[in-house]
Amino acid sequence: MRFSLIPGLLLTLIVLRVHAQPLPTARYWVSFRDKAHQTLRPTSYFHPAAQARRHRQHLPAADSTDLPVRLDYVARVQSAVDTVTLVSRWFNAVACRATPAQAARLRWLPGVRSVEAWPTHDLLPASRPAALARPLTAADRSLARRQTASLGGADFRQARLNGQGLRIAIFDVGFNGADQHAAFAHLRRRQAVVATYDFLRHTPDVYQGGNHGTEVLSCIAGQLPDSTYLGLAPGAEFLLARTEQMYRERYAEEEAWLAAAEWADRNGADIINSSLGYTDRRYFPEQMNGRTSLVARAAELAVRKGMLVVNAAGNDGDDPKWRTVGTPADGDSVLAVGGLDPDTYLHIEFSSYGPAPSKRLKPNVAAFGAAITAVPGGYSRTEGTSFSSPLVAGFAACVWQQQRNLSVMELFRQLQQAGQLYPYFDYAHGYGLLQARYFTAPAAAATAPTFDFVRQDSLVRLIIRAEAAFVPARTLPLFADSVQAVTPAGAAPVAAVGQEQARPVPPTPQPEEQVAPTPPAYLYWQLLDAQGNLLRYEVLEVTQRAVLRLPLARLTAGTRLRVHYKGYTETYSGQ
Amino acid sequence: MNIRLITAGALLALGLAAGPAAQAQRVLFRADPATDSMQVSYGPNRRFYQHLLLGYAPVIGRPDGSGAALRYFKSAEPFIGVRNKFRLNNAASVGFDVRYARLVYALEQNSQKLLPDATLHQQESIVLSQVQLEPFVRLGFGRRGNVIGRYLDLSGWGGWVMATSHRTEDEPGTGGSARTVVVEHGLNYLRRWPFGVATRLGSGRYAFTARYRLSDTFTAGANPVYVELPRWLVGLELGLF
Repeated sequence: MRFSLIPGLLLTLIVLRVHAQPLPTARYWVSFRDKAHQTLRPTSYFHPAAQARRHRQHLPAADSTDLPVRLDYVARVQSAVDTVTLVSRWFNAVACRATPAQAARLRWLPGVRSVEAWPTHDLLPASRPAALARPLTAADRSLARRQTASLGGADFRQARLNGQGLRIAIFDVGFNGADQHAAFAHLRRRQAVVATYDFLRHTPDVYQGGNHGTEVLSCIAGQLPDSTYLGLAPGAEFLLARTEQMYRERYAEEEAWLAAAEWADRNGADIINSSLGYTDRRYFPEQMNGRTSLVARAAELAVRKGMLVVNAAGNDGDDPKWRTVGTPADGDSVLAVGGLDPDTYLHIEFSSYGPAPSKRLKPNVAAFGAAITAVPGGYSRTEGTSFSSPLVAGFAACVWQQQRNLSVMELFRQLQQAGQLYPYFDYAHGYGLLQARYFTAPAAAATAPTFDFVRQDSLVRLIIRAEAAFVPARTLPLFADSVQAVTPAGAAPVAAVGQEQARPVPPTPQPEEQVAPTPPAYLYWQLLDAQGNLLRYEVLEVTQRAVLRLPLARLTAGTRLRVHYKGYTETYSGQ
Repeated sequence: MNIRLITAGALLALGLAAGPAAQAQRVLFRADPATDSMQVSYGPNRRFYQHLLLGYAPVIGRPDGSGAALRYFKSAEPFIGVRNKFRLNNAASVGFDVRYARLVYALEQNSQKLLPDATLHQQESIVLSQVQLEPFVRLGFGRRGNVIGRYLDLSGWGGWVMATSHRTEDEPGTGGSARTVVVEHGLNYLRRWPFGVATRLGSGRYAFTARYRLSDTFTAGANPVYVELPRWLVGLELGLF
């Protein structure tokens, strides 16, 4: 037996090639032990808006996580490795590229607490077509109106709430054409985009890289030619950050997200909207615990600095391999926004489900998962929880404008309470569609009981009260949309968060398919175990008062029945 | 998955088909978190994963002497099999492949030819149909989620040659026919139990594979003029998942 010539030559070539090239570098995360003797003048480091935010929320002007990283530590790392790609004050760490030998030496440098391998990247297939602008149909205009009306946009407008005085940071893949698009002319007129930065290419130009950011921005502040606003906070100021590449997933993106969060903090952002998420290319579902990924830990720290982080829940609800939320939506303090079907007002099939590991409630709230958005050259209909998130970010801006002294977690709780279903929740809708009238007309939000539990022998019946069963005749508005938008049947699956693209023109709906001008009054019911975890949940269409009956045998061992109907929630234990 | 979202259109159709029912409540959405959130142990980077694979590996190298020159790329081993992988940790796995491999040695027709005899034909080949078992150790690179990722496999393989044949083809054929194909089965000069070592370098569903045969091609009783055939197979593999 002997090696034949050709493999031998191949091997020689490979060996020669390996020796001819410099040693490959990998990405490492280097944490330092301390920030001894470091000082910071918050008044000069932070933008006045950032100082005001901290002051309002009774946060210290700066804490140890804001202090700069020791320059001598950074300098030592810089001299020992090829490249330092990120210096993080929040985590007192740097990210760098180094050979394994250099990384081994880093561990012995003074002040270095740990050196972790931080792998490079995985590729995703680049197979999706680019979003194309097209003329708006009547169905599009209807959806454009309803995507804000469903949240109570009219109530906010009457209360003159439009996000004025708030700064919203948007982290996305790029904002193609946003600097020229007519949908943002009002932002340009008042110079409302106060700062931009591309954290991947280290340049202020964010108007390249993809349309997704443009679409997301339009769901907060975009405007149609007929003056319809596509989002709820056209009066806000914006910080635009490019942290993501369209068709590639790099761990560098998580570093970029962290760098952007620190940048947003320094520049006075009140709200971060992140229509991005990382899933099975990097993590397992059980790691969606808010502590594993860098981006989730960065998001949690951003909330501690007083910024509300609103994140898309994810588009993996119909993916049997994942199904749950991605990260950073997994963070406890991150407001994860699920998607609703604009036709049925129920969970849209691709929106990721909860619970997060440890049975934590996710998503927190919901908004439309299909929207009309601005794309270069016009407008388009697009689907994805990426667009639910900015709709809620705009909503949050209006609330914070109204109650400027709320702390970020008070706002977080109030937003959950503004959910149409609150205190009922499930793992598909969270606390449901947000309702502006919770803030603009709080007295009207209180609801009388709408149903009763009636025990009969071996079962419990749910009977809707007569006064709640009354279906009033509807008074016609002066003007109304003549057709409604419907999701096309057999549509292609929705891409991962951050990569959604425009839909083709949906077919014209039949008259009987038209959507009601207000959300239908469904009955939501669920079974909870003794610990309060959901065992099962359903949504019923209500066509008769005796709407549900359940064998009492199902309510043993602490299992309870909880029901929500027309704003009223009650729990029945069977005792 | 136990989630069912029933569209209004489908419900309407169902309702019409069923006629007026006493229980008119329609379930628009249903979920069962207890089963939907079950811990998963099966997947590309889970405790166990199984998938189909297919590949093509041409014979590489020269015979050990003259008399058995090969036509390259026609001399190859296409294969199809099942891979079973057991995860030890994020960096290491073990597993085994079970596959069917059809090794074809396409013989060059020249004046030095001695295998299996000196007769020249238009086309001639020796075919070994094998069932192989290949245990492997896998080293994965980089942190990753539930995906195969990049890896290096080191393995040993062994097989049983369940059928052998010597196939010749001549044109024009005998007796005025256009073509004559002669297939001789059960070649007793070929070994029935090959074995060897192998390595794979892969990323996701694609892998570059190289196999080296340690066993000899011919039995001890074979004609001594038969020289050993090339031992390397180098090719590509595609995971079907």
